[in-house]
Amino acid sequence: MVTLTIDDKQVQVEKDATIYEAAKAAGINIPILCHDKKLKPFGACRMCLVEVEQMKGRLIPACTTPVTEGMIVRSSTPPVEKARKLVLELLLLNHPLDCPVCDKGGDCDLQNLAYDHKVNVNRLNDEKFHHVIDYNNPLIERDQNRCVLCGKCVRICDEIVSRGALTFISRGIETKIGTEFDGPLSCEFCGSCISVCPVGALLARPFKFKSRFWALQKKTSVCGYCGTGCSVTLGVKDNKVLTTVYDENQGFHNGQLCVRGRFGYQFISSDKRLKSPLIRKNGQLVEAGWDEALELVANRLKGAGASAAALATPRMTNEELVLLKQLMTQQVGSANIDHSAGYAHAALTEGLAKSFGVAAAPSSILDIQKSDLLLVIKSDAYETHPVVGFEINLAVKNKGVDLQILSDKRGKLGKLPKANTLLHKPGSEVALLNAIAKVLIDENLAGAAASVTGYAELAAGLAAFAPEQVAAQCGVSADAIKQLARTYAAAEKALIVFPVGLAYPAHTAQLAHAAANLAILAGKLGKEGSGLLVLQEKNNSQGAVDVGFVPGNGGMTAQQILDGCLSGSIKTLLVAGENPVVSYPGQSKVKDALQKVDFLVVADLFLTETAQQADVVLPVCSYAEKEGTYTATDRRVQKVTPAIPAVGQSRTEFTVYGDLIRALGGQAPTTPADAFAQIPAYAGIEYAALADDGAFAPVAVKPALVLPVAAATQVEAGKIALLTGAALYHCGTMSHYGEGTVAACPEGYLELSYADAARLQIADGVEVTVASNEGSITLQARISLRMPEGVAFAPYHFAINQVWSGAVVTSVTVSK
Amino acid sequence: MPNPITPIMQGMKITLGHLFKKPITLMYPEERPKVAERFRGLHALKVSHDKAKCVACYLCPTVCPAKCITVEAGEDANHDKYAARYEIDILRCIFCGYCVEACPVDALKMTGEFELANYRREDFVFTKERLLEKK
Repeated sequence: MVTLTIDDKQVQVEKDATIYEAAKAAGINIPILCHDKKLKPFGACRMCLVEVEQMKGRLIPACTTPVTEGMIVRSSTPPVEKARKLVLELLLLNHPLDCPVCDKGGDCDLQNLAYDHKVNVNRLNDEKFHHVIDYNNPLIERDQNRCVLCGKCVRICDEIVSRGALTFISRGIETKIGTEFDGPLSCEFCGSCISVCPVGALLARPFKFKSRFWALQKKTSVCGYCGTGCSVTLGVKDNKVLTTVYDENQGFHNGQLCVRGRFGYQFISSDKRLKSPLIRKNGQLVEAGWDEALELVANRLKGAGASAAALATPRMTNEELVLLKQLMTQQVGSANIDHSAGYAHAALTEGLAKSFGVAAAPSSILDIQKSDLLLVIKSDAYETHPVVGFEINLAVKNKGVDLQILSDKRGKLGKLPKANTLLHKPGSEVALLNAIAKVLIDENLAGAAASVTGYAELAAGLAAFAPEQVAAQCGVSADAIKQLARTYAAAEKALIVFPVGLAYPAHTAQLAHAAANLAILAGKLGKEGSGLLVLQEKNNSQGAVDVGFVPGNGGMTAQQILDGCLSGSIKTLLVAGENPVVSYPGQSKVKDALQKVDFLVVADLFLTETAQQADVVLPVCSYAEKEGTYTATDRRVQKVTPAIPAVGQSRTEFTVYGDLIRALGGQAPTTPADAFAQIPAYAGIEYAALADDGAFAPVAVKPALVLPVAAATQVEAGKIALLTGAALYHCGTMSHYGEGTVAACPEGYLELSYADAARLQIADGVEVTVASNEGSITLQARISLRMPEGVAFAPYHFAINQVWSGAVVTSVTVSK
Repeated sequence: MPNPITPIMQGMKITLGHLFKKPITLMYPEERPKVAERFRGLHALKVSHDKAKCVACYLCPTVCPAKCITVEAGEDANHDKYAARYEIDILRCIFCGYCVEACPVDALKMTGEFELANYRREDFVFTKERLLEKK
């Protein structure tokens, strides 16, 4: 610790703090323009100049100068104020005074500083800039005329997002923020640059001219897309969500958001939202009242027993899932409840439940930056959970964490400094992890694990997985496998990360066993920065598992429910928020099943492809309209409260299922707090005490070694192996209704390797027909360096289930 | 005690005096009042280059104490900001003139127009078309 004096105030700070940080800790405000707490010190704007007794004769920038013992700092003496005023005058010399038409007005650092320092007139005079404003993309507008060259956008894109889409180009007075070859912006559209821009040089186009900053109500919430559980602030005006507002003090991620969180909010106040219940009459869905719709549903469910089933989306709150589960199991008498197609949660409910004795991953997202080695299975971890990807970027770049990736294709994470990607053949990840486990055992790197349950069986069962034996099957050299095993074992703290979700049929119980085995064998459990982190697809995937929204005793899984619809054993199906027609494997089968089932009830925000087949459609609320809790992927329980009133006549699912329970003669909890108290997994958490950062539900691990079964995948000769996965711009199918996400990625595509494209004579951007035994689909071809030969990738959000029936690898032919 | 007739006489004197002065009463509506230059009557949106000068900066609805101004900005073909909707609910307006004072581009003024009576409530909401300055 270092002690210094700032404005006659004694301050004690860490020795690596800067004067700015020390002042902030003491509650003294030093004005800044180019500094951001998330970024490395830069010192471009000279707004933070201070006087230091020991460095008399010149003014010192507070944001880049480290503190020293006994330093005496004065933050607002007349020379300092004079210098700051001159800095502002110089900035305003070229900055256009178009505040009335600039969307940043009211939230602009330059405007605020000019006001604070009373810069009413400028003693200097110069011509303004005449840069061409970049309107080339639908999300980010770049007006270089307003730029003050603080470099925050350049630095956040490099340091945190690791994209490097922006940089300073030209010199002297001609310096500007440019893109590659000064062309259109080519980036991920996460909007981080917009969030840190102190002026109106970077603006969000979806929000352009929609409202002034001061007219917005800022409502904190939890993002409704992936399982990361990012906090968001919604900008609300006239009961409509108009934008997301950046708050650098929010959440573990410091307000950092991905493209979906920042630009995908439009679904909340979309015109396409269902406004009233719909009932099918004479083959047509017609508007109806709630009483009529609920009575119809209640009558169908009454006494339905095991002929009824429910499929829910893990986007519902924990409390709503509790109610729906109660409705189905107690009032209706059916154990046929499931979510996420029945397999996307298997890594937890079957995998970790056996390996760790608890259906949750023991590590948290906060462990990423505290680790020494990250073993990421599937490079898609960045696309499925971009904000977790930012954490990985920071860990690798700032903390020097070793990054090892096992993947069937290259990805953005592999471009990080010193990242090592082991490219394996599609579908061989379990065999590969087993081979690593075998090396750990053979080389005595797993001494301590010998007493763990199942060690002997595992050691015997792994006999067939010697690196030399699986090398050919995996397409990875035996040496590389051994090397990875040794590196993993040698790291003091090591964390395994892998995503699960509808698009990852390979990431099921077996992969979870295999990954858990490594952590147990190498003794990487129970330490900070170590263990296993399963990235779950939806915002409440972990909650759905914790609530137990899975088939009960003798209940059917999601796939069995669909089979039951086909065979006639399921007569009433309640689909709560899921869109199986687009997202479940095997579209033709799903469509048949929904057609065959006697009575289909769909509760959703939109008239989705699934809802169009329904007999009754119930309009329900988005996350911005309801109260309840979501459990993020690391078992962080977070509370949401309504930011806007319910859209149209829509009701929260909490109300809908509560009413149905009461209509069937049951007793339902009346408030979310009551329902929350019924969840055993969250016994230690008090609902009322849940703050903005939420609370972690404990994960008590009882390790057991389980021999994973490595299923062999075969690609038919002469065909291409099609892999499904998630696209960066989408999450499930809800992002189809977010204008920002659709603008960034409007349709499905097929990523092909250069070798395959050359062989098939396919050019980038042309439409190709992809055919499998299941069916065929037309997609736009994208030729990419990241795909190995013979492997193609398609995001699953755009009904890839027309050709994909749930196989890990689908053999397809691609033709023009 | 003063003479009770005196106050009456004094009053009558003033009345008599007025017979020889210019009448105060205005024979409205046949006779029109002369409105002062700085009178604060109905608003008008100034026009320049055949367009409203207003850039939809939202300062007038922000400053308006009666919350009678509704602005919705739009983006024109040149990506510039303009008022796609500009309405003043004259029933709520208190004619304080803050909106004119706040306008950074001098796009708004208050005219001498004071005859604002009407039959239906919706007629008191002056839309952008009705507010545009007539030349």
